[in-house]
Amino acid sequence: MAQRHEQIDSIIRVVTPENIAFEYRLAGPFRRLPALLIDWTITATAIFICAIAIAITFGAFISGGLAEAMISISFFVFRWFYGGLFETFMNGQTPGKRLTGIRVLTTEGQPINGLQAIMRNLFRGADLFLPLPCLGLLVMTLNKRSQRLGDLVSGTIVVVEQNSWLTGVAKLEDPRAIQLAGYLPPNFIVSRPLARALATYVERRRFFSPLRRREVAKHLGEPLLVQFGLPADTSYDLLLCALYYRTFIADRGEDERRLAEATAAAAQVNPFSQPFATPAQFNYKPPPLPQEQMVTIPATPPRQF
Amino acid sequence: MKVVELLERRRQNWQELERYCDRISQSTLNTAEISRFSALYRAACADLALSNSYQLPENTVQYLHKLVGRAHNQLYRARQFDYKVWAKMLLEDVPQRIFNDRCVQTMFVFFWGFFILSAWLAYSKTAWPEFAEEMLPPQMLEQMQEHFKKPPDGSDRDGDTNLRMAAFYINHNTGIGLQCFVWGLLVVPGLYITAKNAVWLGAAFGYMARPDVPQGEHFFHFVRAHGPFELTAIVLSAGAGLRLGMAWIMPGQLSRGASLQKNGAEMMPVMCAAMLMFLFAALIEGFISPSSAPIWLKSGVCLLSSALLGFYFVVLGFPRRLLNAAR
Repeated sequence: MAQRHEQIDSIIRVVTPENIAFEYRLAGPFRRLPALLIDWTITATAIFICAIAIAITFGAFISGGLAEAMISISFFVFRWFYGGLFETFMNGQTPGKRLTGIRVLTTEGQPINGLQAIMRNLFRGADLFLPLPCLGLLVMTLNKRSQRLGDLVSGTIVVVEQNSWLTGVAKLEDPRAIQLAGYLPPNFIVSRPLARALATYVERRRFFSPLRRREVAKHLGEPLLVQFGLPADTSYDLLLCALYYRTFIADRGEDERRLAEATAAAAQVNPFSQPFATPAQFNYKPPPLPQEQMVTIPATPPRQF
Repeated sequence: MKVVELLERRRQNWQELERYCDRISQSTLNTAEISRFSALYRAACADLALSNSYQLPENTVQYLHKLVGRAHNQLYRARQFDYKVWAKMLLEDVPQRIFNDRCVQTMFVFFWGFFILSAWLAYSKTAWPEFAEEMLPPQMLEQMQEHFKKPPDGSDRDGDTNLRMAAFYINHNTGIGLQCFVWGLLVVPGLYITAKNAVWLGAAFGYMARPDVPQGEHFFHFVRAHGPFELTAIVLSAGAGLRLGMAWIMPGQLSRGASLQKNGAEMMPVMCAAMLMFLFAALIEGFISPSSAPIWLKSGVCLLSSALLGFYFVVLGFPRRLLNAAR
């Protein structure tokens, strides 16, 4: 994956003060709508509870006027400033945003300030402008960073902030891949793009059927088999796994030990193989390698008589 | 060094950073923990920067992107309100901006034009005899006539009612102002809502000024104290809103988005000033206007608030550039 399709994946790059560019995934309307609905529910509930609590405490003990005034003001604050205040004090999140795992940042990826937080929430009134309640949605689809009007005015974006789990390197369950790694020329240097391609393939291959693996791995496997001088019927999938193992997992010393082992094993399997001076000399016919069960697709359909 | 070893070594750090990220959103850290957290964050940044040369697998790179993003959001937090900055903004930047702002001036003319036109139409019995009755909702007229039968002498108001009404005005009038501001971004709705408010207010004033309306005297007695703040605040919010609308219609040399953002950042403090004015107006309207205070006191409040507004807009707002040039 040399270039990720940033527009399609809705990814933006942010350069931190540490001079590191890292990526954020923008939150689209389908992530933001649930957050909005949660926030509205919370607002309605909070106004209701506030009104009851104020009426009970102040209304009963101090004065009805004070209670009504406080209810009226709390309604005002919740209506216009709920989002702005939460986003200021909860670092760009309202409760709904926290529950859905999204956060507001400036377009430069920095935290927003209080003014921006309040402004982007005030302008929700323009986004949900009553005769055209989808105006905000329309504006979101028309710009690259899915900003609604309030975001455009205050210069903010909403990003997805998810936990992700460290996966480490892919586990190779097939010992034959390790065995095959012994047959690869040790002086073959895996370039960076190739390493990236290998990693992407091996991390995903468990989701594919064997037939699909063969199809995907063929493009890389075929020329590599020719280059390494391995028999053409070697499983492409195993070859890529072996290369992956060589690149990411096995140590150089480990590699040589395993190469020796594999050569010894190969010598047992194939008594006609000749011992070779340097591992690069792969001009002999190697022993039959482990094959995956593959269904060969006949070029022409068998004719039936 | 092979990737496996590298991952094994770094895994501890990354997971520790993850734990800090989880904790920091719930509680605050002490100094030692914060410095540990930032060290871990910088290490993760370095790992991400070197991920290409380490040949880290794609999954790990993505994990690092997310980890660095989370930690970055925790380390660089939203700046909270700084009172000095706000005072400077409200007392220095806002008046100067308003003084020179074409949109606020246009809105001033627009609002007062409609206001005066509508007041004249409602007052005059020949130009459009039924104007006030047609423009104002009938229950509003009745309510006004009922409400201003007696002079505002505080006889029907106690502290509770005053408080309740002040809060009501804060909620209602500031809401109208915010609506003028927000809809101003869409220009046409903003102009519509401003014109509507101007026509209503003008019609009410004009109608009450008619010599044959007995409640008129009491009405003007009531509105004089809070009028200056309230009407100025509406003009200000509508002007700030119009400015935002113009920002994307005529962006000048900037792109539309950039122009909108720049003007948004400039106009939000203006709206804050307008909200403060609404707050003052609501307090005056709740406590002074309906009270039994003598009429000269209410006129005094009117004069004082007008003078304050004049000071704010003209003295504080007079461009420093011209001032320095004159010296």
